[in-house]
Amino acid sequence: MKLLRIIPLVLILLGAVMLSERPAYGYTDPGTGLLAIQAAGSALIATGWYLRRKLHALFHRKEQTAHNAAEQSGILNTEDPPRV
Amino acid sequence: MNHLVDFSSTHAKTPFAGSRLEATFRDPAGQLRLTEDCALRQIHPAAWEETQAFLASPLRATLEQSGELIASKIASPDDHACIAAGELWLEHPRVDPISYPWEWTTAQWRAAAELTLRVASQAIAAGWTLKDATPLNILFAGPRPVLVDVLSFERRDPRATAWLAYGQFVRTFLLPLVAAKYLSWPLQATLFTRDGYEPGDIYKTLPRRQRINPALFDVVTLATLFERRGQKAAEAKKMPSASDPDLATHILQKRIARLGKQIRHAAGSPNRSQWSDYTQLAHHYQPADIEQKQRFVRETLKHCRPSDVLDIGANTGSYSRIAVETGAKVVALDSDAAVLEALWEAAARESLAVTALVANIARPTPAAGWRNREHLSLLDRLTGKFDLVLMLAVIHHLILREQLPLKHIAELSASLTRRWLLVEWVPPSDPMYREWLRGRDEIYGHLTEDDLKRAFSPSFAVADRLELSNGRVLLLLERAAEQADTTIDADEPHCEAQPHDEASAA
Repeated sequence: MKLLRIIPLVLILLGAVMLSERPAYGYTDPGTGLLAIQAAGSALIATGWYLRRKLHALFHRKEQTAHNAAEQSGILNTEDPPRV
Repeated sequence: MNHLVDFSSTHAKTPFAGSRLEATFRDPAGQLRLTEDCALRQIHPAAWEETQAFLASPLRATLEQSGELIASKIASPDDHACIAAGELWLEHPRVDPISYPWEWTTAQWRAAAELTLRVASQAIAAGWTLKDATPLNILFAGPRPVLVDVLSFERRDPRATAWLAYGQFVRTFLLPLVAAKYLSWPLQATLFTRDGYEPGDIYKTLPRRQRINPALFDVVTLATLFERRGQKAAEAKKMPSASDPDLATHILQKRIARLGKQIRHAAGSPNRSQWSDYTQLAHHYQPADIEQKQRFVRETLKHCRPSDVLDIGANTGSYSRIAVETGAKVVALDSDAAVLEALWEAAARESLAVTALVANIARPTPAAGWRNREHLSLLDRLTGKFDLVLMLAVIHHLILREQLPLKHIAELSASLTRRWLLVEWVPPSDPMYREWLRGRDEIYGHLTEDDLKRAFSPSFAVADRLELSNGRVLLLLERAAEQADTTIDADEPHCEAQPHDEASAA
């Protein structure tokens, strides 16, 4: 279910990557078709990049939640030991 | 990309003395001029800040240290009369001779492309980028490719996800290799294209099933389709960018990695030709003859101690290697790219001082570019540059296959060597000579060693001679003007040892 929630975000970011454009400054010809390939390729790579980050965050969040729960239940004691 | 060449002030020995070669002026950041001892690059004021920032960057230091980038220093007006006060010029060591992409083997193309991508990747990681990426920015110092255009570097927009030079890299590096592999377009044909091939040029000629080849689909098929749509739209070109700089860097590095894979795919497997196994399968040579010939060549080189050797018809480089072993820097020439590829690969593997050029001395590479003044002809680059020229088993090719008179061969040889010429005379009775004679006995069947000596006598005198048991003759000739004696003295070499110039070899 969480994956489904990520998809709109990915699409928004993908759109941001694709739609955000700046004028091409340079003295070499970037080529029309070859520049379009770069834009399309950027979108693909960006999708993978965001998915990977979100998946990582998802699992990391699970770990973090478990860690917090353990901390609250007193299984983990992160406080400094009392000084004698 | 900037190959202005100017010999006007310094290169008195070249055919260009007194004439200024035209600039390309394509890169607005600066222009280059070559002198006898160094390359000078004038930086235009608009690029001063960017250039100085690059010179001060750790990236430049790293690349220079690894030998991937030509060394640079600020040139002083005290050392160079052409520099006016207040101007910014850089000085680089000369890479001599200049080799152009149309004289490289496939493996050299691959090495040059991989160097460009390696440098581009390092630049991206350091916050820089290459604004152009063409084989003309690479020269071979011996077998090693070097990026020579310092003005290629510029600071990159941290959010830009497009590499501005991607299109140029694909057109000038990747598509020529693709065309060579799938369409058998020779790499030498790149002489006629300044900016490589357009994806559409390849697409319309490529077999249908190759159009969906995963290695070519994006750069050929998709690029052609997008090109057509783009032409209809006729909009200004915009660069895509990302909101996250880390993402932009990731995208650029992925693109570089993809290009690396595509180059490796297109460079393909090593070529073979009828001459690939010539030295192993030369049945007109008995092992004893080969040994005798190699011993003679080695002894001659040891006695003459040349700094610079030109090996014409080098094949896989048996004699180039001997020349390197005796301390010479060698330029190895052969018209057969397949055999020269084996030589270049060995030289690269073993770091031998050999520059490999795919060229035919009988039809030398012409001058090229704007007004024929952007790129020097082969002979302009080779004339008068060598202490010793090897022409082993070459002259009968020039006579029978190129139909060149001996007198003309002698004149060319005299223009190439400053002193020594080692030739192998192959008599008409030799099986190789007979094979190419093809019924033309009346014209070429009567030629003798004396005819050769007579043709060469206006410029050369015989310094040493060895007749092999197969009837072939090795002749060491010495330029008449330099001649001091007519025989080789084993104890007292004729040639002066010339110290190797590290800077010019760099």
